[in-house]
Amino acid sequence: MSPAPVAPPPQKPFVIQKARTRFFGLTLDETIRAFFGGNALMAVVVLALITFFLFREGSEFFGQNRESITLYRKAGLEYVDQMRAQQESHTALTRYLFDIRLRAAKHLTEEKGLSAADANAQLASLDEFAGRYSDTIEPVRGMVSELTDVAVAIKEKYTLSRDAEKERAQFIAAGMAAEAAEVKIIPVDFKVELAPLVGMTPAYVEAANGVSTAITALLATPPTVPAPALNARLQRFQELNQQYIASFPATQKRLETWDYQKPVPALDTFTGFILGKEWKTASFWQDWYGVVPLFIGSLMVSVIALFLAVPLGVGAAIYINQFASAREQRLVKPAIEFISAIPSVVLGFFGIAVLGQALRALSQVEALSWVPGFPFAERLNALTAGCLLALIAVPTIFTLAEDALNNVPRAFKEASFALGASRMQTILRIVVPASLSGIVSAILLGLGRVIGETMVVLLCAGNRIAIPDFTAGLTAFVQPVHTMTGIIAQEMGEVVRGEIHYRALFMVGLVLFLIALLINFLAQKIVRKYRVSIG
Amino acid sequence: METSTPSTSAAPAPTSAATPASRAFAVPVRSTDTVQAANLIEIENFDFYYGAKQALFDINLKLDDKRVTAFIGPSGCGKSTLLRCLNRMNDLIDGTSVKRGKVTVRGIDINSRDVDPIELRKRVGMVFQKSNPFPKSIYENVVYGLRIQGETNKARLDEVVEKSLRGAALWDEVKDRLHESGLGLSGGQQQRLCIARTIAVSPEIILMDEPCSALDPIATAKVEELIHDLKKEYTIIIVTHSMQQAARCSDKTAFFYMGKLVEYADTRTIFMNPANPQTEAYVSGRFG
Amino acid sequence: MSAVSLPPVNPFAHKPSRTQALEKFVLGAFRAATYFILLCGLVVFADIIIKGVPTVVNGFKTTAQFPYVTNTFLFTAPESLYVFEHQGQAMEMGDKDYRAFREAAEAEAVAAGQPAPKFKATSYVYSAGGIWPCIVGTVLLVIGSMSIALVLGVCSAIFLNEYAKDGPVVRFIRLAILNLAGVPSIVFGLFGFGMFVIFCVWNVSLMAGWFTLAFMVLPVVITASEESLKAVPKGFREGSLALGATKWQTIRKNVLPYALPGILTSSILGIARVAGETAPIMFTAAYVVRDKLPWDVEKVGDFFFQGVMALPYHIYVVSSKIPQNEYTARVQYGTAFVFLAIVGLIATASILLRNNLRGRYKW
Repeated sequence: MSPAPVAPPPQKPFVIQKARTRFFGLTLDETIRAFFGGNALMAVVVLALITFFLFREGSEFFGQNRESITLYRKAGLEYVDQMRAQQESHTALTRYLFDIRLRAAKHLTEEKGLSAADANAQLASLDEFAGRYSDTIEPVRGMVSELTDVAVAIKEKYTLSRDAEKERAQFIAAGMAAEAAEVKIIPVDFKVELAPLVGMTPAYVEAANGVSTAITALLATPPTVPAPALNARLQRFQELNQQYIASFPATQKRLETWDYQKPVPALDTFTGFILGKEWKTASFWQDWYGVVPLFIGSLMVSVIALFLAVPLGVGAAIYINQFASAREQRLVKPAIEFISAIPSVVLGFFGIAVLGQALRALSQVEALSWVPGFPFAERLNALTAGCLLALIAVPTIFTLAEDALNNVPRAFKEASFALGASRMQTILRIVVPASLSGIVSAILLGLGRVIGETMVVLLCAGNRIAIPDFTAGLTAFVQPVHTMTGIIAQEMGEVVRGEIHYRALFMVGLVLFLIALLINFLAQKIVRKYRVSIG
Repeated sequence: METSTPSTSAAPAPTSAATPASRAFAVPVRSTDTVQAANLIEIENFDFYYGAKQALFDINLKLDDKRVTAFIGPSGCGKSTLLRCLNRMNDLIDGTSVKRGKVTVRGIDINSRDVDPIELRKRVGMVFQKSNPFPKSIYENVVYGLRIQGETNKARLDEVVEKSLRGAALWDEVKDRLHESGLGLSGGQQQRLCIARTIAVSPEIILMDEPCSALDPIATAKVEELIHDLKKEYTIIIVTHSMQQAARCSDKTAFFYMGKLVEYADTRTIFMNPANPQTEAYVSGRFG
Repeated sequence: MSAVSLPPVNPFAHKPSRTQALEKFVLGAFRAATYFILLCGLVVFADIIIKGVPTVVNGFKTTAQFPYVTNTFLFTAPESLYVFEHQGQAMEMGDKDYRAFREAAEAEAVAAGQPAPKFKATSYVYSAGGIWPCIVGTVLLVIGSMSIALVLGVCSAIFLNEYAKDGPVVRFIRLAILNLAGVPSIVFGLFGFGMFVIFCVWNVSLMAGWFTLAFMVLPVVITASEESLKAVPKGFREGSLALGATKWQTIRKNVLPYALPGILTSSILGIARVAGETAPIMFTAAYVVRDKLPWDVEKVGDFFFQGVMALPYHIYVVSSKIPQNEYTARVQYGTAFVFLAIVGLIATASILLRNNLRGRYKW
């Protein structure tokens, strides 16, 4: 069998190189790839656009706020506010005194069983004292209210002249020189305008000193309170007054050294926003944009919501994942997911229509009066909003926590069982710790949902812009609050585009955006760690 | 030892068939054993990496035209990797790279920049370990490759379907239900459908990655028969775990171990008197 | 082992202990938590359904022409409600009816030669009529924004799942998607207002609302689409590529057709989100009240640049801007019920279809 010479088979050309049609140097396939890639970049672009537009609309806030604070100083509003602070401290002290009187009256009527008339008779000396005390501030009060008018007048004058300047600038921009020349601008010379205001300083100092002498004289003969328990309070009242009087020279010094030309540092406008304790808009006096009361409001409703939602959500997740029968799982899981489909505005409506009243009625039940804050009078408050937000957070926490529990390898559980641990021991000592970071990140994401929720808090949180009074302990949680999301939704429709208030709302949006990113970042970080730990 | 000897040196006639006792199977004598074949694919000094991990070490191999070549070796030895390099299916896996050497098909380096992997794959078809018919009708499965090349002529498509299904020895079994789902076929039929699908685009080379590993013996026999028929027209390279299968269908066999080519020779030689002790150990079933 | 040789005490017997009692208690607490959540959800649903259904049911009226039945609540626009006394009878009427009634009564009085009757009515805005413009607006908002979100989302998912190789860019994109999902909806509202309403000068319009909502649900759609694409077996892609198909041919012919049902079903959840959110459309698309229906425009182009009424915003308006009393509660609960029903149906459909699909597609 000698190998026969075989002719090589006829070869067809083996073409594997092919010039493809190219657009801008890309083949069709690469073009398609670029198209899809462009779409995927959309997420990045949107995130960038959000940041950009929040900044675009909001960043001017700082400049405008600085201007506003500068005007506050130049027009003498700051000056008057220092006097007003002194007056308000006095008012607070008067209130303290009346509080003592109220307690005394209560003591007399309830514990000693006196009639109202008798009690009032016993308290006559206290009443007289209180009346005289509250009158001591009158000279200052009159002066402050006079100066308030002066300062407001200066501010208005300046605002008018600025508006006129703007008008002229607009005419010039439109090329209407004649009209521009016609606009009358009355320049404001702050020094001249402020002269009467500053000129009042000696008179004011004198008045203040008068107040201080009057108080000292009055306190020399302290009233007697028929309730010995209140003597301590009276003592405290004395001390507070001494502190108050001691603060007079400092105020005096501030007034004397006050300079309307002192520049406002750029940082002040930033800290004034981030740390400002007042959010006051559309006031005749001075607008303040401090995010703190809103932030605290948001935080408070979130804390209430998580306080309710975490035990419920995590507990339900453990039950469904570890104990429930397959049938129960099939029914309950979609049902809880379904709750997350309830639109938040419907929940908010439910809060207004039903839950607010129900909670108030519940708080007025005698048997529950031991609960801090009960009974309360406000139908819409942080607690109402918090309860509804809990219902929003529960499905998120439940679903994610259940996932985390599900990811715990079976082997862990089996090993624990094999060592004779009971089901509960296995769950609490093995399964939950193994999935703890997953659960924590579930809670964080729940927090993210709650803090960013708008409609429920807008409708149910009560919308009072003030830092709740935490001195009273847990009762703060049944006070009405306003939130960052709520303020944007509520005020955005009413503000003038481009004004400082409008910018301030965008800044609040930016803060909210950053908080959301931070929460997300933390959640992801924890999840990543968790993936590593399970292997 | 690397046997990069040109395969043109025909194997000696099997006179002394001293089959070792450990071989439970016979290696048939084929007519092609004595016929010279041209080299179609040449692999030279080929190194391949998955990320930082080297999967193939300095492979040198020349594969014959219109023959069946089997790649054998234990799991993870790189035989499937090499197979997938031949039509650049490895491009689809992240982080793979050819660091050194080249693969030429009819003298063209398939890894060069101006080679279009799409065109390459039209010429070098592939049949996978797990049959993967598309969830379409049998007919649509077969004409898929032609449709994506833009063929719309119905008569031509019909013709190709019949020819390919006949070629894959499936025509008689499915001719009455061409428009039913390809997923309704049995495992062996599905695999033959995949082969039909591959030959429908008339490639020159068919790569088969353990085509029978999921099939029962009867289906396996049919596919092997089919391979025997197909080699008249196509060059076939088959990766297999089954040494019997390699012995039954291939003309030449390459044995890989740990990413290296250990021995490459006529199938008879590999199975009857391998030069390398590792090969001897593997084919006699002592390891792998 | 025979019974005799058994020791008297079974070492494996249950031993009552405090831990066991504690375990039972903890288990009970977990179970209580689960069912308490369900109960809360149920209370909300029940309250709104029970008080809202009568409004819708009482709205059914027969009419003279085809189709002979209409629903005055669902298919009319909102009106003011007038509550007044006439000839000793307490009456309440919608704006149009009230005017007609008043004119008729006055004409009657004049004809009878009597002084015109005096009407003293209390009015409640939005408390009569129905919510047809709001339903229309919500549907338009959902259709538009979901179309945009689906195109963008599916394309992104195709890139991420089919084309992209793991690298810093892709990781960055995924990070962006995750973060986008956490952005509060009100921030999307602000962003939409800043970008579309002001910067693009689209004003308060459907277009502005569409894009704002689309960007908001984008992460939901991308995640859903990617999951569906992942469910398509690798073999489909390899088989197609091995036949010389290009990547795009493979995706178009052999991946997308099998992933599409999954993508669409999962995206329904996105619809529920889009339909349910109020905050993003408050400043971008929603009007408190609008007389014209959206298709009532002069030019086709105007259609895209008009604001609409929307159900969620209408609920916000009727629950915060008008007092809570017996006259207004009807429309408040009715609107809430219709809205909840729509969103609930969408969500149910999504959950059912998803479960169904999971069982059906086994390759």
